[in-house]
Amino acid sequence: MKKRKIQSLSRKIVLSITLLSLFALIVIFTVFEKINKEAFYNIEMEKANLIARTIEPLIAINLYLGLNNDKIKEISLQLIKNPNILAVKVMQYNQILSEIKSMEYDNNIESSFIVNQTVYKPNSQEKIGSLVITYSNQNYKELTKKYTNLTLTLLFALGALFALFSLYVKKLLSPLRKIAKSLKNYSPDREINFPYISQNNEIGLISNALNDMQEKIIQYAKKQKNINQFLEEKIDEKTIELRRQLYIDTLTGLPNRLSLINDIVGVREGALLIINIDSFREINDFFGHIAGDNILRKFANRLKSMFDDVKYIELKRLSGDEFALFFMKKPSLEHLTQTAQKLIFDVEKMIFFHENNEIAIRITVGGVHQIDGALEKADIALKSAKKQHKSFLLYDEKLNIEEQYKENMEWVKKLKKAIRQDKILPYFQPIYDNKSDKIASYECLIRLIDSDNNVISPYKFLTIAKKSRLYNKLTKLMIKKSCQHFENIDNDFSINLSVDDMLDPEILAYIQQNIKKYNVAKKIIFEILESEGIENYEEISVFIDELKALGCRIAIDDFGSGYSNFEHLLKLNIDYIKIDGTLIKNLDTDKNAQIVAKTIVDFAKRLNILTVAEFVHNEAIHIKVKELNISRSQGFYLAKPQEKLKHS
Amino acid sequence: MRILTLLFILHTFLFGYNYNDMLLKAQASIFPKIMMLDKKLEEKLIDGKIVYTIVFDEEDHDTALRISEFINKNYKNNFDKYSYKINLVKFTDLSIDTNASIIYMLNSNKDIKKVADIAKQKGIITFAYDINNLKNGLLFSLMLEKSTVLYLNKENLHTQKVDFVDSLLQMVKFIDKGNS
Repeated sequence: MKKRKIQSLSRKIVLSITLLSLFALIVIFTVFEKINKEAFYNIEMEKANLIARTIEPLIAINLYLGLNNDKIKEISLQLIKNPNILAVKVMQYNQILSEIKSMEYDNNIESSFIVNQTVYKPNSQEKIGSLVITYSNQNYKELTKKYTNLTLTLLFALGALFALFSLYVKKLLSPLRKIAKSLKNYSPDREINFPYISQNNEIGLISNALNDMQEKIIQYAKKQKNINQFLEEKIDEKTIELRRQLYIDTLTGLPNRLSLINDIVGVREGALLIINIDSFREINDFFGHIAGDNILRKFANRLKSMFDDVKYIELKRLSGDEFALFFMKKPSLEHLTQTAQKLIFDVEKMIFFHENNEIAIRITVGGVHQIDGALEKADIALKSAKKQHKSFLLYDEKLNIEEQYKENMEWVKKLKKAIRQDKILPYFQPIYDNKSDKIASYECLIRLIDSDNNVISPYKFLTIAKKSRLYNKLTKLMIKKSCQHFENIDNDFSINLSVDDMLDPEILAYIQQNIKKYNVAKKIIFEILESEGIENYEEISVFIDELKALGCRIAIDDFGSGYSNFEHLLKLNIDYIKIDGTLIKNLDTDKNAQIVAKTIVDFAKRLNILTVAEFVHNEAIHIKVKELNISRSQGFYLAKPQEKLKHS
Repeated sequence: MRILTLLFILHTFLFGYNYNDMLLKAQASIFPKIMMLDKKLEEKLIDGKIVYTIVFDEEDHDTALRISEFINKNYKNNFDKYSYKINLVKFTDLSIDTNASIIYMLNSNKDIKKVADIAKQKGIITFAYDINNLKNGLLFSLMLEKSTVLYLNKENLHTQKVDFVDSLLQMVKFIDKGNS
């Protein structure tokens, strides 16, 4: 690295002063030289003039009185005694009366002044002659020489003085260099002994100030060091705590999901059981979150005590109501299954207390007997068990659950695309009156037209639509398009509604809006799926009343498939019962189905409710339907759902 | 010898004082010029003229006349810018009423002090042919020595009506009681 060149302050100061002074001196010297030389010249000239003026009256009176020339010569001789006067010449009217030259005249004639003094008649201005004095400039030369020498001596003296002054300033400022040098490698860890502290001047003040500053810095550094040490300790503590929190669940003190993930990565073989407390949300809602947390803690402790002795099984808490048993060694499939089943059995016997309330819980367990993708697979198994209302399910590759998940995701994409591209359409299947064999109404059935223009049935996407919250949009589309379609067609038509649709105030408002808009209140029939299990009868009743007030009609779809009871159905004030297809499809041969169907028809007739047979897929069934006095028929035997209306 | 002494006395008695002609001419040339060196000459003009009064004893009338002619010949009626008039006055006729801008006193045995007093009263300059008369109160005289020498009676200079150029005073020889 190139060393930084220090520009000496002292040198700068002295150089500046020297240059400035030198300039001033040169200017003064030049000006004075000129002025003084001129002054010296003038002095000498004045002296010569003075002599001339002094002697002139005497010459004048002699000339005037016309006495003899001896007197004038006498005066001239007296003048010539002055060593500076080289010659005296007296003239009267251009005639030389007297001319006397000194011995030095010839030597000095070149460097002399000539003073020509006019001689006037005494007591008059009349010119009567002239006096010419040749005056030596020797004096002037000597004076200027002396002056020049003196000035040069002065300059030399000043130069020497500045040199000394420079050295003095340098000496004065040298402590600053020493201080700077000592400061150069300053570090708070290393104390510097500043020189010149005892000096009673500015350097001393600077040294003292730096020393004070150093002490403060040292104190501050010590404080900082202590603070840093303290902070480091705190950070270490917090790091440990955070690390603990990262892997430990704060509520139960059990290792958490992240810990499980790490453990799974760290072993080659193993197994996993995921435990989910059934309907734990209800416990939280009913008893409160504090009670819920309390139960989770107690549940965790009991699980812990159950598996405390088994070293290769580690208990984890994955999320709110989900726990896991991680087998760090691969157990036999039988042992894994037994462990799960014993766990389920033991938990069912567990009773938790909260404010004198006994709370019992049930669990669902999903298991996996392999380590590869254990968490995901156990989770799939758990979800499948829940879906299948089983308390335990072991993950099986044959379930092809993963593929289903992928397919579901693809369907969500397709659905979104279809909605975006307006490819969700109503298809219309006629419902025939069994007495007249004419079309009584049409059921509007949802269809998705895919990118290859294939017509996709709703069983492929409706469940996925419900999970992905697209169902609401599909319902709205069907309501709008169906109402729009039948606006100017004089036929009844029906639309399917789920329980969720009926419980959604937004859907109710949308239906009301479209019915009014397209004026189809008298034509529209809403089919409510009985198979979904209507539980909130009061809310459904309110919904139906709202629509019936507009003049709409209501049908119960898939009647006989659910657990609805007739008493509740009566309250709903329905107009149609559509008998479930499972009863109709074998109606021609299944005696039991015939009995159930007949019971439904009888029941409906008493209530003045029309009945509709679905799934009429052949002639025999159609005949049987008619025999049983079912009011209307619908099925592929009679007509398939079509994009356009089929007229009878 | 007695006869020679008697002749000399008679001659002096009959024909007056034996003047040095060279000295007379020198005085006639220079005294008017000296008179012109008086800065207060204007005050002494009479009817705008300088009255050059020559006082003489009766027996020196011719001398006075010759002086008068010499002056007129040299100055041709003007002393510089001033016209002048030569007034020949016998000693006995001299009084305070005599017109005079200056008085030139020829030799006399009489009381010269009278001339000095009148001149003093009038405040005018006096010239004496004989240097010895300066002792009696006259102001200037001139002698021909190795060179021409002007004598001035220092005692008589202190009159407020006479003010000479300084250079004149530098070149004169002063006569006083001490070095007379």
